[in-house]
Amino acid sequence: MNYDLFGLELNVWVDALIRVLLIVGFMTVSVMGLIYIERKILARFQRRLGPTRTGPMGLLQSLADALKLIGKEDLRPKSADPWTFEFAPYVVFIPVFLGFVIVPFLFGWQVRVIELGLLYFVATSSVNIVGWVMAGWGSDNRYAMIGGMRAAAQGISYELPLVLALLAVAMIASSLNLQEIVSAQGRVPFVVWQPLAFFIFFVAALAEMNRPPFDIPIGESEVVGGPFVEYSGFRWSVFFLAEYAALFILSAIGAAVFLGGWAWPLGEELGRGWQLILMSAKTGMLIFLVFWVRASVPRLRIDQLMGYSWKVLLPLALAQVLVNGAVLVYDWPKQVLLVTGVMGLLALFWVTERAVRQPRTRPAMTIAQSEAAS
Amino acid sequence: MRGIAKSMLTTLSAFTRRPVTREYPERHRPIPERDRAFPILLWDQGIDEPFCTGCHACERACPVECMTVLMKDNPRHTSQGGNSSRRKIIDKFWIDYGRCMRCNICVEVCNFDAIAMNNTWQGHELSVYDRSDLVMDLPQLLSQHRQGNLKEWVAE
Repeated sequence: MNYDLFGLELNVWVDALIRVLLIVGFMTVSVMGLIYIERKILARFQRRLGPTRTGPMGLLQSLADALKLIGKEDLRPKSADPWTFEFAPYVVFIPVFLGFVIVPFLFGWQVRVIELGLLYFVATSSVNIVGWVMAGWGSDNRYAMIGGMRAAAQGISYELPLVLALLAVAMIASSLNLQEIVSAQGRVPFVVWQPLAFFIFFVAALAEMNRPPFDIPIGESEVVGGPFVEYSGFRWSVFFLAEYAALFILSAIGAAVFLGGWAWPLGEELGRGWQLILMSAKTGMLIFLVFWVRASVPRLRIDQLMGYSWKVLLPLALAQVLVNGAVLVYDWPKQVLLVTGVMGLLALFWVTERAVRQPRTRPAMTIAQSEAAS
Repeated sequence: MRGIAKSMLTTLSAFTRRPVTREYPERHRPIPERDRAFPILLWDQGIDEPFCTGCHACERACPVECMTVLMKDNPRHTSQGGNSSRRKIIDKFWIDYGRCMRCNICVEVCNFDAIAMNNTWQGHELSVYDRSDLVMDLPQLLSQHRQGNLKEWVAE
């Protein structure tokens, strides 16, 4: 069986190897770029300069960091579970890496155009929770353990709203193929028809990536880095690579699914250059939004975090799926989607606002306290 | 939700403003008018020799004893065929900047206005690898004013 790669007829294994190498190279470079850009942008949000000393405008800072990390000693605590500890970074990293298969860079420029692309992405991206728990468990460290548990709780809770938000869009597009979802958007991107789904997707994606304000698994002030406590050197950098690669992938998928990918607003018959500009502008916008949120919003408590997912995001995402189903079945006009979406978004804001305004309830008493009280 | 929107706007406005960081070793802030660093000796540009006559007044007044002064006959005095009115002149002068506490007493006691506190960045940037490098000798103490690198002093 032969595959077509840039007009070359290649053996399937050679083809796969070339694609893997391309993606690995692209990912490494883009992650280093993202880290540099994040540090620069975050610095500007705090009226600092960010890295300036390494290379022109600090451009080589990420390279220097990478070299330093590779040069560091790869420590393993004596009491750590060797296999779990050593493999955890790769269990976190490989699912994220697999997500690159369906990232729709340009028209026809995917590693593979998979019919069930979104399903594939959702299925692979949730596997890395196992890696987080492995890292927490294998380190034989209490902070790491708590961090791993938090990562598992958060990852599983936010997986559901994420999947349902994507599902809502897939219903409207009547396809799980990212290529077709992009072309189904036509003149109006799905963010207009599905504002609620977009918001839920964005919030859940923040939580999936463990980005602030949902970074409680690695909260430095609470669990001193969570599952990363005992990691150093190369293994630690693999975690980092996974985090930023996930940031890129989720932004790219968000750009494709909600913002019209390479097509909107200039139509589908575009040259590669225009497609690249549109796609990177949209992805970059979402990435900037992530950094912006990070610079603005403080970290949530764990109960707030879980409550927000189960009590607010999940019911609203389910309601959105229900409305979409009704629209599809009864052939209602598309404007219904817009109206219900905006109403859902307002309801979401109202619920959040009300939760913030409520006076803080006292924490539940422990058994010892209640016995003392009675 | 309103709180989040507000904080996002706050950070955005910070984003649009200029960073407050100054890249210190490359860019210096202007020094305050009355800033004083370590003492240096002044150069009599008219006669082209130091003002200092080596009278030991500052050395005796110095509370931390950071100065060492040696005096000699001035070879350029009028009796020797020169154009200077100073009978005696400084021969050797050391100030240990590591020991000086910048009390300004040497400047107060000097009868010839020959010593002054450095008022430039050069007087502050004195990082060295060896403590003995902080002991300044006569040429080092004189060079800055001789090259005209000092600012005008504010009247005290």
